Order: sequence, then C-alpha cells, then structure tokens
Amino acid sequence: MEKKKILENLAAAIVEGDRNKAKEVAKEALSNRIDPLEAIEQGLSKGMTTVGERFEKGEAYLPELLMAADTFNAGMEILKPEMEVQKKQVAKAGTVLIGTVKGDVHSIGKNIVATVLEIHGFEVRDLGVDNPSLNIIQEAEKVKADVIALSSLMTTTMPAQKEVIETLKEMHLRDKYFVIVGGGPVNQEWADKIGADGYGKSAVQAVEIVKKLLAKKR
Amino acid sequence: MLNFLDVYERALKGPIMSENDFDIKIFIPTLNKVVREYGIKYDKENPVPSDDKIADNLFKASVDFMSQVGVYCQDTNRVIQFTQKEILEAVGEAPGKCFVGEGKEAGVFGMRKPDDHQVPWLHVGSGIVATSEEMAANKIESYASISEANSMSVAALDNIRGIPIMAGSPAELYAAIRSIKIAREAIQRAGRPGLPIMNLIATAASAVTTIAASAPQFGLRPTDGWLCGTVAEMKIEFGTLNKVAYLLNWGANIGAETAPILGGYCGGPAGTAVVSTAYMLVGLLVHKGNYQLHFPVHFKHGCSTTRDVLWVVSISCQAASRNISMPLIWLGYMAGGPNTKMYFYESAAWLLCATVSGAPSVQTPHPAKAVLIDGFTPMECKFGVEMAKSAARFDRQKANGMVIRLLEKYESKIETAHQGSRYQDCYDIVTGKPGEAYVRLYNEVKEELVGMGIAFE
Repeated sequence: MEKKKILENLAAAIVEGDRNKAKEVAKEALSNRIDPLEAIEQGLSKGMTTVGERFEKGEAYLPELLMAADTFNAGMEILKPEMEVQKKQVAKAGTVLIGTVKGDVHSIGKNIVATVLEIHGFEVRDLGVDNPSLNIIQEAEKVKADVIALSSLMTTTMPAQKEVIETLKEMHLRDKYFVIVGGGPVNQEWADKIGADGYGKSAVQAVEIVKKLLAKKR
Repeated sequence: MLNFLDVYERALKGPIMSENDFDIKIFIPTLNKVVREYGIKYDKENPVPSDDKIADNLFKASVDFMSQVGVYCQDTNRVIQFTQKEILEAVGEAPGKCFVGEGKEAGVFGMRKPDDHQVPWLHVGSGIVATSEEMAANKIESYASISEANSMSVAALDNIRGIPIMAGSPAELYAAIRSIKIAREAIQRAGRPGLPIMNLIATAASAVTTIAASAPQFGLRPTDGWLCGTVAEMKIEFGTLNKVAYLLNWGANIGAETAPILGGYCGGPAGTAVVSTAYMLVGLLVHKGNYQLHFPVHFKHGCSTTRDVLWVVSISCQAASRNISMPLIWLGYMAGGPNTKMYFYESAAWLLCATVSGAPSVQTPHPAKAVLIDGFTPMECKFGVEMAKSAARFDRQKANGMVIRLLEKYESKIETAHQGSRYQDCYDIVTGKPGEAYVRLYNEVKEELVGMGIAFE
C-alpha cells in the first residue's frame, strides 16, 4: 500500500477510536519502511488533531477524546520500539502537571483539559483529585513541569488554588513554573487576584494559554 | 431490598479495577452499546417529546445499563454491582413520598406524572450559589416568605468573619454551623419556623463537617434533608457513604444528589439520557434516598438550558416519573444571571420542560451557572414559583411549542450570556427589597411571556 494511504489509515484509526486498527496499520507502516516519526506526526497525530477539532466544534465529546488518546497509545506501542532503535524522539510541546486542588473531587473538567492538552502534543501528568498544595509542588519538581494547571469546581475550594501559588512563593519556586487556573466558578478576575499566570474558560482556551506561556519562556 | 451494609460489602468485594479502566472499558462501551440496542435517539426538533413509549424504553435501557455497569467506589477501586432483579425490586419498593418539615410547614413531598396538572412541590433557594455572611439572613427570610414555597435550600457561606472557607478546614465547620443558625433564625423571622431545609449542608464540602455540624444542638432536624452526592459518572466515595450511614442511623431524610454531564463521559444527549435515568436507580440502591436532587448540565456551557440538555431533562424526567417512585427535585442552571431578561427566558423554558414531564418538584433555577457569589436573589425564587404554577397548566405538546419559541429568544446567546447583578447590586440590603430597575425588568419580562401565551395567576 502506498505511504499516503497508510498514513491516512493511521489517522482514521484514531478518529474511529479503533485500537486494533491502529496497531495493524502501525505494523504495516513499519513493514513498508515508513519512518516511525513520520507515522506518528503525519498519521496518529493528524487523527488526534481531527478529533480535537471535532471536539472544539461540539461534534465530539469526552468519550471520543478518550478513545482517540487510548488508540494513539495503542499505535505508539508498535511504533515506539522502532523509534528507540532509530534513536528518534517525538518533540514534546512541554510538560503540564494538572490536578484538582485540595477538597475538590470533581474531575471531569480537569480530565477534558488533560486530554485536549495531550492531543496538542503536551506531556501531561495528571495528579487526579483532592491534592494538597505541597503534594502538587513536589510532583511538579519531580516531573520537571513547565506548567502547573489547577482545577476547582467549588467556590469553597478556590482558595486552595491561591494556597498553591502562595506556597510556591514561600518555597522560592514561583518563577520556576507557570500556574494556570480553571473550573466552573473561576474567572479571569480571580486568576489576576491570586497572581496566576493564566485562566482558561474552556479546554481549548487552556491549550492556547499554555502555548502562549511556553512561547514566552522560549 | 438490599440494606446499606449489603451495598457496602459489595464495595469491598466487587470486581477490582482502576478508575480509568472503569471509564474506558466499562462505562463508555456499555453506554454506547445500550444506546444502540435500545435505539435511544436525540430528537432535536422536540425538546419536550410526548411519546410515553420512548420514555418507558429509556427506563428499560437505564435498568439494563445499571446492571451492566454498576457504581464505582473510588476508595476501594471496586465496582458495586446489582442484578436486574435487585434493581427492579428496589424500584418496586421505592419510597414514593418523603415526609419533611414541622408544625404547619410539615408536608408530604410525593410523585407527579407527565402532563399532570398538579403543581409540583415548590423548592426555593440555592445552596451552591455561595453568599457572603452579611447578606445571608435577608435573602433566606425573603425566600421563606414566599407563601407557596414548600421547602428551601440555603446558600453556602463564602467566608466566616472574613476568613475564606476552605473545604475540610476548621473554618468550614465554623461556617457550616453559622449557616444553619442564620438560616433557622431567618426562616423563623419569616414566620415559618417549621419550613424544611433540604440541601444540607451546603457550606460543608467534606463529610466530616456535614456530620459534625448536623448535631441537633446546632438546629437541624431529621425532617430536614441532607444531600449526599455522587461523582460523575456513576462513582461514589466513602465520604458520601459515611454521610449516608450517619443519616440512616439517625432516621433523617437522605437526598441523593446526582448531576450527569452532557458531553462528559456520557457523550451526547442519548447517552446522557440513559445515565440521567440510571441515576434514580443509584439513588434508590446506593444512597437509600428518601428523595433526590438531580441536575443534568452541559459540559461546555455549564448550564441546563441548551436544547440537548432540555431534551435530556424532559425524557429522563418522563422515564423516571412514569416508572420510578422517587420524589425528585429537578434543578436547572441558567446561563444568564439575576436582573437579565435572558435568565427569565431560560428559566421559563426549563420550568416548562421539567414540570410537564412529571417533575415531582422543581427548584428555583440557578442564575449565572451558579458561579457568581451573591448571584442569586429572591426575585428568581418568586418567578420560579409563579412560572412552575403556570407550567402545570400545560401539557407536553403545548409546552414543546412554547419551549421552542423561548429557545429562539436565548439559544444563540448562551455562549455570551451576562452574569447579571449580585444581590447587593439589585436589592436594598437593609430592607431586603428589590430595586426599582429589577422590578421593572421583571414586570416587562412577565408581560412578554403573557403575550406569548403563558398565563400567570
């Protein structure tokens, strides 16, 4: 099969959320001597971009995002060993540590942001829900995060976002990380008040902000 | 029926799996399969459908879904499973009514059917729209003064003596106790001391605070109602189960709190309708609820008034009210805030939708997606009561036409809806009376709605 068709099939597997197809086509790509990096960037990633665009337009929902991410990983299982043999690496857009702050167990919004960030090529470390401030900071240090993304759905847990920023200052680490905030009751005014570097109303906005912040860093 | 400890045992012995596996390998594929097998389809043209067969089919789909998926316990990483037989037994033994309040405010909150002309149980106020401490008493007194109101919610306090409330902190406990005392006093000032508070305890995000502040010396009674939440979707944690255990032992009213998110794990409207209905089964089986508070919302817009969410509200409300005898308070989040026409258009559409679909109770629709502190006023409660009474005169078919006309007024503005005014910006905070501008806007909107064919008393 011609290269173009194989790359299209890889993208289609992601859009369809078909793990088996992604694996099969990835194997086919390698047997046709397609550069694994090209298979990722022009195949799997293109499919992720399509799903991301459908999500932004309201034509796809969280299940499609999750299935696409899962299918991407299935394709990577085949392509990654060959990448290692060829000593090639996918360029990462940056590392984002994301989590819901202390006292808040609402995860869906945070999960959507994490998945959309992944789709856009970011390395995402998801800490889950109900994270004490110090834990968030220690994990950021451990994974060498570029950005700390803090989610809060309740007005009573919003102060914990501020606490993370204040603790970073106390530990003389504030300048090391960009901190962005989000969640139902959070707005730009709150982000400014607590000294966050950015606020995203939606997952798509969060990605734009992270891109903008990291561009500034570079 | 399985008792609570039986359910707890299943949380210890059910199949073990990661939360991610539950989402990806169980919840999503099963939901897709059930939607396909039962032919659940979103009807964009009819936000208020009126075919009983569709509603009953949705009920069957939700039972099937519940029996295949179960409820994930986040603390034990196990799935609490139920057979179809157990689910249907629980449905057969559903409470059907909930006894609340005291003295002349004591009442029985029971069931309604689709196209029922009986006025729903009128629940006023808000819990999640937080209030500053100094504004709380006047607002609560005003809500309680609405004579038709059968029960109420009181708002979470935003701070205690200027200290922000952090979930699970000592400040939260102080504020929870303070909020109860303010509420009791304000309700008493309205001359209705027995009026039940049914969203306990809004100020307490943590279970330990809820349980501690519920000690009777702080003013709560078993004839009030406590909300015990689920985690979206179909998940539960020990904090909620601890609250349930405490309330069951006390004999106090338990309200299962559930909020399916359209666009989240449920996917589109068809999947959300199945999960929305299945949540009534969760309320019966896991929470052992006497009543339930249920509010489907849109993941992106954070409100309940998009066309697809209205359809979910209507069809799952019909499925539940025809098949599951669980007294449900239906709640909607509006995109528009207080003192905006947008709020009232949305509120009218949502109340019509829920009321004609058989909602046993409707709560004052929450303005500004419930995120603006002090962004809730007695005027919205007044409208909610008047509109619900008016909506009870409609049937599904007529309501459908009216909801479509109301959608034409606000649907395209949801994305940019204005948050509106805070209480202190549109009310006199000393007298607790609305400002002239808000009264004028209110009257204008009502006249407009009357012109459209909505008759108010």
